[in-house]
Amino acid sequence: MAMLEVRGLRAEVNGVEILKGIDLEVNTGETHAIMGPNGSGKSTLANVLAGHPNYAVTGGSVTFEGRDLLAMAAEERARAGLFLSFQHPVEIPGVRMEHFLRAAYNEARKAAGEPELDVLKFDRLLRTKVKGVNMDPAFTKRSVNEGFSGGEKKRNEVLQMAVLTPRLRILDEIDSGLDVDALRDVAGGVNELGGPGTATLVVTHYERILNYLNPGFIHVLMGGRIVRSGGRELAQLIEQHGYEGIAPSGADAAS
Amino acid sequence: MLLQGDGSVGEFYSVALTKARQQADTGTKMTHIGKNTTSRIISKGISAGHGQNTYRGLVKVLPGAEGARNFTQCDSLLIGERAGAHTVPYIEVANPSASVEHEASTTKVSEEQLFFCQQRGLSREDAQSLIINGFVREVVRRLPLEFAVEADRLLAMNLEGTVG
Repeated sequence: MAMLEVRGLRAEVNGVEILKGIDLEVNTGETHAIMGPNGSGKSTLANVLAGHPNYAVTGGSVTFEGRDLLAMAAEERARAGLFLSFQHPVEIPGVRMEHFLRAAYNEARKAAGEPELDVLKFDRLLRTKVKGVNMDPAFTKRSVNEGFSGGEKKRNEVLQMAVLTPRLRILDEIDSGLDVDALRDVAGGVNELGGPGTATLVVTHYERILNYLNPGFIHVLMGGRIVRSGGRELAQLIEQHGYEGIAPSGADAAS
Repeated sequence: MLLQGDGSVGEFYSVALTKARQQADTGTKMTHIGKNTTSRIISKGISAGHGQNTYRGLVKVLPGAEGARNFTQCDSLLIGERAGAHTVPYIEVANPSASVEHEASTTKVSEEQLFFCQQRGLSREDAQSLIINGFVREVVRRLPLEFAVEADRLLAMNLEGTVG
């Protein structure tokens, strides 16, 4: 059984169908990249898998470690080990990182039937996590993403990943807005946190991030369908010929 | 509040909450009389349901209040589509050396904030109270710990069932 099994997934937003039948299997230990032009439905797929309430699933099924993912609320999916790294992480003024992270961490503990960590114990854990991802410990005293630069927000996503230790990591354009150094650090963090029990789904439209994350599987999403799947060589073909150049004839063009 | 003695200081911090069809009209008066008097007003308003919050405040600087300074910050948080916030500052200055500042902001508990919290494992209800506690933190953190805890609880209790 694959960790993530997506069958014929259809979804719409505001009555417009964006995903028109997605099939995808991701096994433990694998890294998959979903590539495609703007508007092809990549971010929609990431958000639908995470349970964003603005998207309505109209068909198909998704299982995560054998559980019916679509029947679970967004927070249940998170507690079960699914993590979405946001393209644009939101700011929550006045809420300190350490407080936010402890609340999130303890929800996962509760869901797993484990005792919650008190402030002191969690603080100890957080320190080691912050050190592990090479962040300034002062970060944890700041409000969630408030006044963070684009790079800091993405590093902060990696810190959250480090604390919550998800098994399925969905990265929605984690490379957007990052300079080369920040990209290397963020991707390095993602790699370091990806143990043998994890799987990663990378959504991107640039090949650059793939040089760091090294996915074994590439899928091209256009017009709400996966029109082509292959190995790393597919990413190089896209780089050379563009998305239109590699789309099989008869496939829907991207809107 | 009357700031009569030279160099006297006045501070006013408030949190107002309206829900259902409640309307609140809250604020303060700061009257600067003495020289070099300073005052600070921080007002936080939360409106849920059809709730309407109005901040109405008077900052008055009398002719003798040489070098008076006031800073007023008025922040409103809206929950849902039908809530409203209104800010009505009255400023009367009779001494040209005075400095009076007024800042106001209105924000909404956004779907993106709620989803972000849910994606990290918090329920929608908990996400909303977290966001609200963050919004009022600037005021609540000035309270003694026991009161601060009480204030957070009171807010959570009063906002139960308002999450969108």
